[in-house]
Amino acid sequence: MVSSTQLQAKLMREYYQDFSKYAKGKPPVHKTAWVTAFTPVEILEALDIGYVYPESYAAVIAASGKEQAMLEESERQSLCRDCCSYSCCFEGSLILGSGPRGLPPKPDVLIATNNQCNTLPGWWNMLARRYNVPLIVLDYPGEAAERQDALAYVTVQHQELIAQMEALSGNRLDMDRLARLLKNSASSVAAWRRVVELFSKRDISPTLLFDGISHLITSRCKPETAELYAVMEAELSELPEADGAKPALFWLGYPLWYHAKRYLPELLEGCRISGSNYVTWWSLDYIGDTPLEQLFHAYNYTFLNLKPETKRARLAACIEQSEAVGAVSLHNKSCKCDFVSARHIDIPQAELEIDMIDRNFLNMERAKRQIDVLLESICTG
Amino acid sequence: MAILSFSGFIPEQICDTVRFIRYSGKQKISHYCGYAADFIAQVLEDPEIDGAVFPRSCDSSRVMTSYLDDCGKFVHQLHIPARQDAPAVRYLAAEIRRYKQAVEAHYGATLSDIPERAALVNERNRAVARLYENLSEVLFSAYLDMLHCLLQTPLREQAVPDNLPGKPGNGKRVYLVGSLLPGSTAGSAMERAGLAVVGDRLTESKRLFSAPPVPASGDVYENIAKSVLGNKLSPTQNNFGAILREDLEEIRAKQVRGVIFVTQKFCEPYDYLFTAYQRMLEEQSIPALRLVLSDSMDERTYEAALEAFADMI
Repeated sequence: MVSSTQLQAKLMREYYQDFSKYAKGKPPVHKTAWVTAFTPVEILEALDIGYVYPESYAAVIAASGKEQAMLEESERQSLCRDCCSYSCCFEGSLILGSGPRGLPPKPDVLIATNNQCNTLPGWWNMLARRYNVPLIVLDYPGEAAERQDALAYVTVQHQELIAQMEALSGNRLDMDRLARLLKNSASSVAAWRRVVELFSKRDISPTLLFDGISHLITSRCKPETAELYAVMEAELSELPEADGAKPALFWLGYPLWYHAKRYLPELLEGCRISGSNYVTWWSLDYIGDTPLEQLFHAYNYTFLNLKPETKRARLAACIEQSEAVGAVSLHNKSCKCDFVSARHIDIPQAELEIDMIDRNFLNMERAKRQIDVLLESICTG
Repeated sequence: MAILSFSGFIPEQICDTVRFIRYSGKQKISHYCGYAADFIAQVLEDPEIDGAVFPRSCDSSRVMTSYLDDCGKFVHQLHIPARQDAPAVRYLAAEIRRYKQAVEAHYGATLSDIPERAALVNERNRAVARLYENLSEVLFSAYLDMLHCLLQTPLREQAVPDNLPGKPGNGKRVYLVGSLLPGSTAGSAMERAGLAVVGDRLTESKRLFSAPPVPASGDVYENIAKSVLGNKLSPTQNNFGAILREDLEEIRAKQVRGVIFVTQKFCEPYDYLFTAYQRMLEEQSIPALRLVLSDSMDERTYEAALEAFADMI
């Protein structure tokens, strides 16, 4: 039987195949879009347009230990280091013309969405200046808007996107194919949710989930993704039960991409991580009778596009499911939208100042003290 | 009602608001725009303020509701479309209608004078535009003070003077880019350094009076939405190309010798814009100076930097 490692390697190979070909001077067969992490890529996939996620690549650069050179270079070129480190790191990579897997193929179009933050469209504007290619910004009003107004507004944009991508690719959209791809995405989400449910129950390293979710980002509408997660679920179900004697902690925020384990096990001895909100972010709900309704629901109601009270309720449910008695809450320099929900959680927290890309941002001594205080309060509480 | 408003996206045609300029408050949030944090502080702490209205246009404003939603005051967020096309106008019109209804519901008021207010805003903007045309002749600090005063005054009481104090002499011509300048100290310091601001893209100046007039006929909400989205763009509106094109045109026409870019720390829209802006200016061999303010009360005058810049240009 094929293992999850083999399936992951296959998906990674497929995603990065154009990077290595491009590095050898071979342009990709298909047109290429650079997209943000919550772009409705099912439309692109249905039209045979390749897509690249600069945010994910910044994470890969950090994981390869090369982020400092990239951050310094982008700062030298006047990009403020206060900006999102994904953008600084990726920009540095473009300026230096290098990256751990080569460079992504030059974009034919740039597509940004504001359903996770308002920073990404700004970054994409910079990319549009660099490459002088069309920039499409998809505007998702979120849960706070009246549903009918938002549905009409977003649907028009999706229809326009389809028309623009048809013109770019020279292909005509087959609605049945789009419907099948949306079904694949929904299956990937359902399979991933079953994996996440095991997090608090089995002796699972958070690293597995932080790395595992990347396929839900880069390959969510491919049928192999649901297959991978089904295999993962079977493998993880075989692991020993979680050690109930160790205090369970919730990891509230991004993985630390630069860290070999993506979190801070060296500061968390004697504890276990039993849950994380990050691993639920791409669990999009493809609800609706038609493909356009499903696209609207999935991409307008992303976690970071919900009302504060809904986000708080979701986070509370997530924490409850994890059975965590404390939380490591990350104040991420790069993301204002992320940690604000942590203000209302009612378990003890260690609030760490971090950046998900820049390893030099975290003061380890201070973090150790904060986590020690957290553990003490849990153990004596 | 005393609703504190954040940013020029909030339509003045609906009701009077007090435009946020500056406040010294206790609210400090890590890696977060100091100007936005000061706005949150004033809403939470100032007993004179009984409500808040702000856009969803950048990351700092996007999450403001999370800091304010249990304050017991009127809190409303307006989603400003990231686009400027017809669907965006229709959507924003619905948002503006929703804003009006929310104010009426909270305060038990009836806002029935929107067309009259629209006419007053049109008239006020024309008067400010006339002053801007002669910006090279007047004291920029006085112009800024006048604008800040206007924005904190009820619309029907606003009065734009015909003239402002003149400049003592000819300074070196500079163009100013940034969001709202919370005080006039930076403007005064520029004048002391021998710099003459002859044009700008500030929220309280060109991005105030450049909004197209709201016509008297037709759907008033759509007309207001068209005006908001037809205004000179902010970097939060995802069209750096248009901003750079328009500014370069004015910079050339006014024979500007340098550009001063004023930003708030942790304000990513302007940080990204600056990167693109600086590249454009380098191509044109126009020097740029960047000043970064820490919050709305930052009184640093940057004397040394401005004097050095004045010497350089």
